[in-house]
Amino acid sequence: MASGSGERQHASVASQFFTGAEDAAIDMTTSEKVVDLLNQAALMSTDDKLTALKQVQELIINKDPSLLDNFLDEMIAFQTDKSIEVRKFVIGFIEEACKRDNELLLKLIANLNMLLKDESVNVVKKAILTLTQLYKVALQWLVRSKSVSEMQEACWDMVTHMKEEVLALLDSDNDGVRTHAIKFTESLIITLSPRTPDSDIPKKQEGDISLDRLPKDHSYIRYDVLSEEGKSALEKLLKFMVHPAISSINLTTALGSLATLARQRPMFMSEVVQAYETLHANLPPTLAKSQVSSVRKNLKLHLVSVLRHPSSMDFHSQISTLLLDLGMAQGDIARCVPAAAQPRKRPRHEPYSEGKRIKIEPTLIEDDEDKEEPAPVVVPKPSSTTGTQSAIDLTAEFLLPLLTSENVANLVLISMVYLPEAMPASFQATYTPVESAGTDAQIKHLARLMATQMTAAGLGPGEESGSKDPIIIRKVSAVSLGQAISVVGAYKSPTAEETPQAKKLPEPIMPSTQPKAPGSSGRKKVFRLGDVVQPLSDSQLEKLTNMAVKRILQAEKAIARSGMSHVRVKLLARLMTQFEGAMKDDMLHFILEDMRARSDLAFSLLYQEYNQYLSQLPSGSLDSYEHCLFALLSGLQERPEQRDGLFTKLVLEAPLITESALEVIRRYCEDESRVYLGMTTLKELILKRPSRQFQYLHVLLDLSSHEKEKVRSTALTFIKRLYEKDHLREYIEKFALNYMQLLVHPNPPSLLFGVGDDTEVASPWTEETVRQCLYLYLSLLPLNHRLVHELAAVYTEAIADIKRSVLRVIEQPIRGMGMNSPDLLLLVENCPKGAETLVTRCLHILTDKVPPSPDLVERVRDLYHKRVPDVRFLIPVINGLEKKEVIQALPKLIKLNPIVVKEVFNRLLGTQHSKDVLVFWCFKGNGSLLVHLLCSTNLCFGEKNVYTSEVLAVVMQQLMDQNSLPMLFMRTVIQSLTMYPRLGGFVMNILTRLIPKQVWKYPKVWEGFVKCCQRTKPQSYSVLLQLPPAQLASVFERCPEMREPLLQHVRSFTPHQQAHIPSSIIAILEATNRMQEPQPQPESDHAEAVEEREVKP
Amino acid sequence: MPSQPLRVAVVCSSNQNRSMEAHNILSKRGFDVRSFGTGTHVKLPGPAPDKPNVYDFKTTYEQMYSDLVRKDKELYTQNGILHMLERNKRIKPRPERFQSCKEQFDLVITCEERVYDQVVEDLNSREQETFQPVHVINVDIQDNHEEATLGAFLICELCQCIQHTDDMENEIDELLQEFEDKSSRPFLHTVCFY
Repeated sequence: MASGSGERQHASVASQFFTGAEDAAIDMTTSEKVVDLLNQAALMSTDDKLTALKQVQELIINKDPSLLDNFLDEMIAFQTDKSIEVRKFVIGFIEEACKRDNELLLKLIANLNMLLKDESVNVVKKAILTLTQLYKVALQWLVRSKSVSEMQEACWDMVTHMKEEVLALLDSDNDGVRTHAIKFTESLIITLSPRTPDSDIPKKQEGDISLDRLPKDHSYIRYDVLSEEGKSALEKLLKFMVHPAISSINLTTALGSLATLARQRPMFMSEVVQAYETLHANLPPTLAKSQVSSVRKNLKLHLVSVLRHPSSMDFHSQISTLLLDLGMAQGDIARCVPAAAQPRKRPRHEPYSEGKRIKIEPTLIEDDEDKEEPAPVVVPKPSSTTGTQSAIDLTAEFLLPLLTSENVANLVLISMVYLPEAMPASFQATYTPVESAGTDAQIKHLARLMATQMTAAGLGPGEESGSKDPIIIRKVSAVSLGQAISVVGAYKSPTAEETPQAKKLPEPIMPSTQPKAPGSSGRKKVFRLGDVVQPLSDSQLEKLTNMAVKRILQAEKAIARSGMSHVRVKLLARLMTQFEGAMKDDMLHFILEDMRARSDLAFSLLYQEYNQYLSQLPSGSLDSYEHCLFALLSGLQERPEQRDGLFTKLVLEAPLITESALEVIRRYCEDESRVYLGMTTLKELILKRPSRQFQYLHVLLDLSSHEKEKVRSTALTFIKRLYEKDHLREYIEKFALNYMQLLVHPNPPSLLFGVGDDTEVASPWTEETVRQCLYLYLSLLPLNHRLVHELAAVYTEAIADIKRSVLRVIEQPIRGMGMNSPDLLLLVENCPKGAETLVTRCLHILTDKVPPSPDLVERVRDLYHKRVPDVRFLIPVINGLEKKEVIQALPKLIKLNPIVVKEVFNRLLGTQHSKDVLVFWCFKGNGSLLVHLLCSTNLCFGEKNVYTSEVLAVVMQQLMDQNSLPMLFMRTVIQSLTMYPRLGGFVMNILTRLIPKQVWKYPKVWEGFVKCCQRTKPQSYSVLLQLPPAQLASVFERCPEMREPLLQHVRSFTPHQQAHIPSSIIAILEATNRMQEPQPQPESDHAEAVEEREVKP
Repeated sequence: MPSQPLRVAVVCSSNQNRSMEAHNILSKRGFDVRSFGTGTHVKLPGPAPDKPNVYDFKTTYEQMYSDLVRKDKELYTQNGILHMLERNKRIKPRPERFQSCKEQFDLVITCEERVYDQVVEDLNSREQETFQPVHVINVDIQDNHEEATLGAFLICELCQCIQHTDDMENEIDELLQEFEDKSSRPFLHTVCFY
């Protein structure tokens, strides 16, 4: 207006003066400076940009407003800046610019409209503040204009539209936005209501426009419309205030706004005081205790400020009552009342001030009733303020006589039902004991309080007599239906709807880069998660999940340091069971990288998997668990170095051993470097998992016939250990026997070659396959001798090849059993048919190193005599037999092949029978046996350490003692002599002793005698000389070459000696040649010699 | 708000102990902070409870310091007043009165209820111009050195939390409730407008 234009005038004059006085270059400089700053600002960071823009603003608004129009577009372009602060700055700039030059409203109002819908609440708030200012500016500008252009009309329409929008923001979700909207409403009401003489006018707002300054005949601005808009805004504000869930800050703001309204527009005093009264009795239940205190403090402050206003005179009683309730002292209240007003108002003030001290019981009731209605509907009467006033008064008057003790008591009783469980904070803060209940003043106060509530609810005679607003009727019916009604924003302002949009509304200045469409951001910003998030694609999801899990995996050390490993382990285990595929493998791989350190993770994972499986029973699948266990176990196996006990631990602690896991264990057992570990684990499994022990045992048993020696022997060792357990024994035995039973098949079953290897027909039994069937059995045999009978049974049915193999492999176990084994003895005794070779083999094995026990001998003998008269049975026990039996058996024995015979000899030798044998041989030597005997004796002589010279001497002596000379006697003698030449003397003695036995009567022996003499000459000469002449002649017949040496020998005798030799002998000696002297008596010499030899061995 | 540092005022009665302690800590934490007193005079403890040292708001901390040193150096060293003044003069030259300050703040924190009342009353008595809101929060702190320190940390934490909210006005209510529960002391809270 006048002042504004004056300022402008002044400014332009100043600038003119400025330009004139100084240099034009300065103007240029300003303009250039602005250009420079704007250019810089475009590229700067937010803070610097703000500084630059502020400088520009200063330059073009205050220093040189003539530049304002030039750079307006450039400045406004920053409204799309991404920085909130810059956008806020632009709003501030719009405000300043419009204030400086009202015409700019035409251009800028649309931009402000855009910013009012900004996505940032802070920008929106700033825009509301600016609109608060610009609304007044715009109105004033329009009013000032003599003729309103179409543009101006459109601009005003837009302002009006924005005003409606801001009023609607009272329903915003954002507390701060609501707060700003309240302040806007406050300012709007002030502007759209007439200033009165008793109005408080803030100095700075003296020039502001208000309703009373509007010309009633303005071409476009309609006084009555704006007046209605003002009233409607107040109505909205009052409605807003009684919302039950109003926030404490909004309430505080609204209270302040009401106080401002009351002071600046005393015409609204009644509404304000009434609103305060209502609020005081109905503090929102949502407020916390401290908020109640804050609000009450505010209420007090504002009441005092209202009280100080002269126009509050009529309401002093109500205000004082409220202030007393709020804890203000009577004296303090009195001090706040303007001095001039006091005496005049005293009379009306009196009746209430008496009741001030009384804290009234009904307050309590009111409070309770309030709580029981979730949304108390308080509808201030917008149309007639006096009507409301009187309505409450009317109702109060109506109620007063009804408040008898009885009625009040009933009311209290009824209300009791609706008392809340806990005392609300607001009640607790306001409650003070009622001191003088039942006095007239207090009853009056109570009536008024109830009337306030009832009027607010649209009830009571005062209400009925009041004007019938359709809204109120609607509310009443709603209340009577018991519905909770939200008061805030219940209806639209009709003005918004009926505004004709014929004119083109102002367009915002659109920078070329303007990306935003106006109104793109909604009025309300309700946060919904669904709006701001987008579903990730599956691959993204998977990738992110993978990365997240990897991070947890990698965080191992960091987490360990913080002592939260167990959480991590648990987390990973849980997570992992949720996912499939690669991630699991990654995790398993990770575990296996350092199984020792990560075993807890491994176990945790395993248990989690198992748990998962259990939780899905009965339909759940074990696949995942199995995969996990399998991967861990086989992973362990693939690791080169041994992990002490981890494998065993894993197997033993796994909740379930699956087939594939068992397969891994088996592989472990088959790995020669880990066989011990594997089998130990398997053994533990067998012993510690009784429910499936046979399954595990089977694996171990299977391994007992494994092709690798080490695996097999280890398995057998373990089985033997397990065999000691009673409950496992039967199974093991059965398995062993089943396996052995395979031997009865004509060809080895495919079982022996592994599953699926169906080559039964093609391959014959080999040593290897036979052994395979027997390993287990044979290792059990020494532990359980009874099994031996099974072997016999199988043996009898088996083919020859197998029999041979069997005989080869049984040595060790049979020897282990020993000859005292009752079962072995029983086997010998029973000797199934066809098993003779087996039994014989057993006997041989048993007696190989040690002499047979009497028991064994007894059984064999028994067998031999009663059932199987095969002399070969006797061989093993032959050295346990009686001499007689040996002698009896010998003839049969020596008929066996030489190897057997040799063995027999080996057995007999070294026993007390050895001499008998030789004696026997020589003695029996006749007939068909001769050849065998010769062999036998040769064998005997082969054993030099048994048949020493002494033994032979004894043998010869014994043979001599026989009645008739055995045929082989001389052969024995000659052989002995050949072996032991020092037996010569003894042999001479033998020969001498043969002569009386008329040795020449035994042709063979005689032959031998002669041969012997021939070999032993010259010792034998004396023997020869003792022969009768006929025999001597016979000797010479056989060996003529003997005669001459013997003759020479006789001739060398002394004459005396020669005299002893019979002449017949000499004659024979000299028979062909010249006979020598008869031999004297050489016998004595020889006899001496023999004796001599006998004495010295 | 988060992009722009909060403009904070800390107010106690004499702008000596509680507000200065908080001023000290807040400025160290990078807040845009000023401190004030609301009393008509600056009062410091004297030799007896009924004989305080009274200065006006124009007196510098330095002057108060010299004055007290002169009066009884030992006493004021012992009760920590000199130490406090020393700290204060490092922060700013003299105490300031809230009512005389026309600068606008986002947040005013008071240290006792009486001060809160005075601040709110003062703010409400000013003529409204911009309608820029200012939140006033009262944190009760006893006027001694230890409580001042504890209180200052509480204020600092509160300010930091508020500073970090995306939308201070929308969240401050809830935040204060949390702080009340946590520190188990009630906060008075209101909003005024410049």
